[in-house]
Amino acid sequence: MSTPAPGLYLSSTGSYPRVGDTPDLQILRRTIAALDRGDRTTADLLDAENEMTRRAIGDQLKAGLDIVTDGQIRWYDPISHLAGKLENVKIGGLLRFFDTNFYFRQPVLAGKPVRRGALVVGEYSFARNALGHLPTPGEKAGKLSIKPVLTGPYTLAKFSHVEPSGNGAPDTLASLEHRAMAYAEALAAEIAALAQAGAELIQVDEPAAIKFPEDWKIFEQSLGPIVAARDKVREGGRNLELALYFYFHDCTPLYDKLVQLPADVIGLDFTYEPKLAELIQSAGSPKPLGLGLVDARNTKLEDPEVLAWQVERLLPKIGGGRAYLGPSAGLEYLPRDRAFAKLELLAKVRAAMKDLKGPKA
Amino acid sequence: MSRKKLTALGVKLPLFPTTSVGSFPKPEYLAKARGEFNKGKIGADQLQELERKATKFWIETQEKLGLDVLVDGEMYRGDMVAYFAERLLGFTQGGLVRSYGNRYYHKPIITGAVEWPGPVTVEWWKYAQSLTKKPVKGMLTGAYTIMDWSFNEHYTDRHATAIALAEVIRKEVEALIAAGCKIIQIDEPALSVRPEELATAIEAMETTTKGLDAYFITHACYGAFERIYPGMLDLAVDNFDLEMSNNDLSLLEVFRHHPFTKDISFGVVDVHTHTMEADATVRERVKKAMEVVSRDQIWVDPDCGLKTRTPEEAIEKLRLCVTAAKAMRN
Repeated sequence: MSTPAPGLYLSSTGSYPRVGDTPDLQILRRTIAALDRGDRTTADLLDAENEMTRRAIGDQLKAGLDIVTDGQIRWYDPISHLAGKLENVKIGGLLRFFDTNFYFRQPVLAGKPVRRGALVVGEYSFARNALGHLPTPGEKAGKLSIKPVLTGPYTLAKFSHVEPSGNGAPDTLASLEHRAMAYAEALAAEIAALAQAGAELIQVDEPAAIKFPEDWKIFEQSLGPIVAARDKVREGGRNLELALYFYFHDCTPLYDKLVQLPADVIGLDFTYEPKLAELIQSAGSPKPLGLGLVDARNTKLEDPEVLAWQVERLLPKIGGGRAYLGPSAGLEYLPRDRAFAKLELLAKVRAAMKDLKGPKA
Repeated sequence: MSRKKLTALGVKLPLFPTTSVGSFPKPEYLAKARGEFNKGKIGADQLQELERKATKFWIETQEKLGLDVLVDGEMYRGDMVAYFAERLLGFTQGGLVRSYGNRYYHKPIITGAVEWPGPVTVEWWKYAQSLTKKPVKGMLTGAYTIMDWSFNEHYTDRHATAIALAEVIRKEVEALIAAGCKIIQIDEPALSVRPEELATAIEAMETTTKGLDAYFITHACYGAFERIYPGMLDLAVDNFDLEMSNNDLSLLEVFRHHPFTKDISFGVVDVHTHTMEADATVRERVKKAMEVVSRDQIWVDPDCGLKTRTPEEAIEKLRLCVTAAKAMRN
C-alpha cells in the first residue's frame, strides 16, 4: 500500500453551504420548497442537488484545495441523513446539534439499525465523477482527491433515541454500547463499499466523543468494526486511510488518547482551546493530523501569516511530516461567501509558509 | 418565593398561572404582507398596520381562552436574534445560514461596538398592553444567546461580547419598566449549549437585571440541562420557562437531585408536533411537576413559542394549558 507523501495538504472538513444570497445559489432551497408544495418532482430535486454539489466542488477547486468533499449538499443533517437510511430507524423530532444554532432530526430506534443498502456510495460516486468533469488547475492534474465523510457510530448512537420498551425495540438497545456497535457494523459495511467505489481516504466524524469523555470506552470499542473494515480493504491490496475528526469541543484534555486511536489521520478543532497548538508542539503527534485552525464557526478571517507561522511550527512535530490544513468543522455554519473566503484562506496560509516541502500548489 | 415579588409589583395571579412563551403563528395575510414588504411592494406603514391587527387578534384570543399573563405574539418579528441585531447598533446582517432542513436565516455579524439606539420593543409592548387589563410580558432575547447566535468580528472573546450585549439589553429592560411593564421575559435558549460558559451566562443576566424592579422570566429550550443544573439556578431571574414535554418530562429527574429554587413555567404541551395532547395527559404533566416543585412555584404554558404551528393548532395548544391549570386549581 502506498502512503501519501509528506507535506501540507489543503482539505475540506465536510459540509459546505447549500445556499447563497443570489438567485442562482437558491435553486436547491427553492426546489425543496416547491417539492413540498407539490410543484416539483424528486427528479427536479436530484437535479438541484447535483448542481449545488458540482458548485460546492467547483468552489473548493477554485480555492486551491487538494482534498475536496461533495459538501454534504444532500444531507438533511449529520445524523438523520445516515441513520434514516438504516432499517429499524425512524426519524423523530428536532434537537440542537452541539452548541450550534443548527438542529438535527433525532433517529428513533425500533430495533437494531441495519444497513440494507448504500448510505453515501452513490453520492460519493457522483462527486468523484463531477470532480473529473470540472476544470482542474494544471498543477493539480492527477493530484486531487475526493473524500467521503461519515458521521461516526458513537455520535450516531449518542443522539439516537430508543422506542419505549414494549413498542418492539429490543431491551439491549437501551444500552449506548449496543447502539454504538450496531451503527459501527453498518458503517463498516459502508466503508468497504466506499473503498470498492474508489475512496482512498474516508473521514469519520466523532464530535460527541470529546464532548462526552465519560463514554470513552464505548466510543473506542465502536471503532473496532470500522478499523477492521479498513484493514480488510488494505489486505485486499487497495489503498485506504481512515481519518477521525473531532470538533465542537476542547480537544486538549483527551489529546494523548486521540492521537493513539487506530486511525491514520486525527483531525482536531483548534478553535475551542488556543493551547492545543502548544500542546502538539511540546508532545508531538505519532501520526498525521488534520489541523482545524481556520474557524468554521465565525466569519472573521484569520491572518494567513499568523496561521502559516503556526503550521510551520507544528509540521515538524507531526508524524510522517504530513498534515491536512482545513476548517475547524464543516463550513455550512457560515454564509456562503464567507465559507469560500475561508477556503481561499487555506491557500493563502500555504503560500505564506517559508520552507514548505511537499505539496505546495 | 417570587409570588411575594409579584404581589409587591401589584400583579395578582391565581395558582398555576397560565402564559405562553412568546411567538404565535402569523396569520396568512401577515405572512404574505411580510413577503411583499421584503420585495418593496408595500411600505412599512402598511405592514405595521397589519402587524397591529394581528397583535390585536392574538391578545383577544388569549383573553377569550382565559390566559393569565399575555404576550404580544411577536407579529412584528422574524428571528428572535436577528430582530434585535437589526435594531441595535454594531451589527451587520450576514448571509444565509441553515437553521434546520430547508430553513435558513440571516445570521448577524457583530462588526462594531454594540450600542442601544433607544427603545426597541417598548412601543409594541405599550400597544399590546393597551388592549388588555391583564399583564403583558415584555419580551427580550438575552445577551448570551444574542452573542452565541451571532458571528463576532469585533470583540476579543465571547465573554466580552456577552457582557457588552448585557449592558445594552439592560437599557431595554429599564425602558420597559419605565413604561410600566412588570413581567419581563429574557429568552436564553442558548443557555446550556456550552456548560463551561455558564458563569458567563450568569454574569450577563446579572448585568441585565440586577437591582431592577420587575419579575423576570427566562426561557430556555433544547438543552443539556443536566450539565448546568443546579448551577443555572444562580441566573438572576425569578422564573425558568422550560421545555418539558418534548423530552417526556425527563428534566424532572434532573430536578429531583437538587431542589428547584425558582418558579417554573412548565411546558405542558409539545409545540413541535401537530398532534394534540389529551386533556388528561396535560393534567398529568402538571401533577408530575408537583412531585418536584411546590404548586406555588408552577406556571403552566407550552414548551416553546408556537409560531411553527397553524393558528388553529396554537389556539388548541393554549386551550389545553388553560384547561389543565383550571382543573388543577379546583
